[in-house]
Amino acid sequence: MVIHVIRAQGVTKIFGPDPESALRLVEQGRSKDDIRAETGHTVGVNNVSFSLEPGEFFVIMGLSGSGKSTLLRCINRLIEPTAGRVHLQTEDQGEVDITGLDPAGLRELRKIRMSMVFQRFSLFPHRTILDNVTYGLEIQRRPRSRAKEIGEEMIGLVGLSGYERSYPSELSGGMQQRVGLARALATEAHVLLMDEPFSALDPLIKMQMQDELLKIEEKLARTILFITHDLNEALRLGDRIAIMESGRVVQIGTPEEIIVSPRTEYVADFVEHADPTGVITSQTVALSLQHPRFVLDHREPGVRYVRHKAQPDVLIGVDEAGAFRGVRVAGKEVPARPLLEVLEEPAPDTRRRDMVLTCPPDVTLRELLRGRTYVALPAIVVDAAGRLRGVVTERELVEGILEKRGNQDLGAVEEAPPEADPAPLAGVP
Amino acid sequence: MLADLFGYHLFDNHTIPVREWIAAAVTWLYSNYRPFFQTIKKPVEWLLNGINAGLHGVPPLVMLLVIFALAWWAASWRVGVFSLAALGFVGFLGLWGDTMTTLAMVISAVVFCVVVGVPLGILASRSNGFATVLRPILDVMQTTPAFVYLVPVVMLFSIGTVAGVIATIVFSMPPLIRLTNLGIRQVQGDVVEAATAFGSSPREILFKVQIPLALPTIMAGLNQTIMLSLSMVVIAALIGAGGLGLPVFEGLNALKTGLAGIGGLAIVLLAMVLDRVTQGLGERGRHR
Repeated sequence: MVIHVIRAQGVTKIFGPDPESALRLVEQGRSKDDIRAETGHTVGVNNVSFSLEPGEFFVIMGLSGSGKSTLLRCINRLIEPTAGRVHLQTEDQGEVDITGLDPAGLRELRKIRMSMVFQRFSLFPHRTILDNVTYGLEIQRRPRSRAKEIGEEMIGLVGLSGYERSYPSELSGGMQQRVGLARALATEAHVLLMDEPFSALDPLIKMQMQDELLKIEEKLARTILFITHDLNEALRLGDRIAIMESGRVVQIGTPEEIIVSPRTEYVADFVEHADPTGVITSQTVALSLQHPRFVLDHREPGVRYVRHKAQPDVLIGVDEAGAFRGVRVAGKEVPARPLLEVLEEPAPDTRRRDMVLTCPPDVTLRELLRGRTYVALPAIVVDAAGRLRGVVTERELVEGILEKRGNQDLGAVEEAPPEADPAPLAGVP
Repeated sequence: MLADLFGYHLFDNHTIPVREWIAAAVTWLYSNYRPFFQTIKKPVEWLLNGINAGLHGVPPLVMLLVIFALAWWAASWRVGVFSLAALGFVGFLGLWGDTMTTLAMVISAVVFCVVVGVPLGILASRSNGFATVLRPILDVMQTTPAFVYLVPVVMLFSIGTVAGVIATIVFSMPPLIRLTNLGIRQVQGDVVEAATAFGSSPREILFKVQIPLALPTIMAGLNQTIMLSLSMVVIAALIGAGGLGLPVFEGLNALKTGLAGIGGLAIVLLAMVLDRVTQGLGERGRHR
């Protein structure tokens, strides 16, 4: 059974004097504009459901006014949802219904189970950095010496050692948000709510902070609910992304799913300007051998040799089990080397045609592109079991980058005709 | 007839007897509740007498040095030197005793203003209803000419320095209440939200976030309260209070211009010392 750390079901927030009256219209599935025209109520969050797995980095992306910050605040009830339920999985008390907690229970939840990082940092200006970071521990009534210890450790973790006695106003924006992050990490809550934490920072600092957050996340394995209006940030950080438009979630998926198959016009518009090279993977763009662009050249005992129509002198070998059996160029076997290993070496002056690169299915377009500067021959996608999952030529790379298009359907499972190609399809989990 | 028609005599025949009502109310309070007012006078009396005895008991030189050190600590060495010079000068004017009496009155009035005013300001900041009710009351306290309520104060609390201090408390408390309320309301909403998000109780938010951040504004209110109480202390001389109001009042009555002059000078210098010192305290409370 899959455990969900947070389960939000039908969360709805309506602003106005009589939210209940507008709730009926929300339940009928009416749009935000309709409801506003009819009742004068603003629908902040419209019937949103999602769930987070332990340790997941879940990003909610939307433009301003899409309701993403409101939704985040419905999770720890800084804003009271009008309808819907939010459940939290805890280690000691099983699943807790956050929406049903009384004020004391809610304070307990905010103290020990969820912490938060804010867009405008929201540090306490009258407290030193150390006292800011230990605020949550003070509220938890931890002994002062222990709080100081944890505080200093967290300040070290975010790279601010030596600033313990400074005040927030003496620090730059990026440093202030490090304090905000350390303050949230210090409570040792398993769930971290982050409300556009890097939006107020310069692009360069923003990138640094994203990298560091990923590093910290690797170390501490908190479950993160992260809000942003920046799709590139969402793609960079998120294990999964939920895209919001006027209070609704219009698509939830992995970064690659969002880029390659945007479900609505709205999502497609966003994706158009996103940089896909770090998101789209080789298994998505790779052409499987049963694609019409490939033809069977000849068979040898146990091995079929297939060639691309555009490159008749390059033969790719596959055995009956679907395993990769080497490449021949103009009749001669050429060595196959792993892409990630070759990238460590300096690039040659001219691209080689006497060697092919193999790569695992999860390598991104960025690495494949760099690989093209070493070797002119197509890259072979081979999974951990040694099976050939597909081939990436320049054409697939260009299509992937410019059109954000894959050659393999990410979700669907296709039956391969056994005659044509016994290799399992790429993209099938 | 015609004059009646146009209302020339509109106000001649009928007046609303508010004047009688007020007199009756005060008399009623006096005859029924005088013991009560005499009781609430007690704590003021104790505090005033204590501080007064203390200030008068300390040798002037020691007192000057204490004030110097205090002003230095609270503000700067410049304020320390200024305080030393100003109060030394007042001493050589021959008004040291009166100055100490006035200082005792101001301190005890301000103590009561803080004890009552700060909690009222906090309440007002947390409840719009309470703030709305409180506002006209504060307006009345601040704008009613002091002479108007000196009469009922005398009737209920008798004459003397204690009655003077009570009148001073009434007059000088409003700015502290107003600025406490304002200071807490001005604390940034996002900082309070952050405190809430970490599970703080309303009480923790108040004491760990709102009051510390409102402190500079509260200190500005305290400064105003001190200044107002100093101005009222002089008027209190009219109802028999001692201190620096006395030479001014005597000078006025007997046309002794010089006496009134040095009294006034001493009040101004004391006011400047208190102002600089409390402003310094406010700056200390200001976070960076």
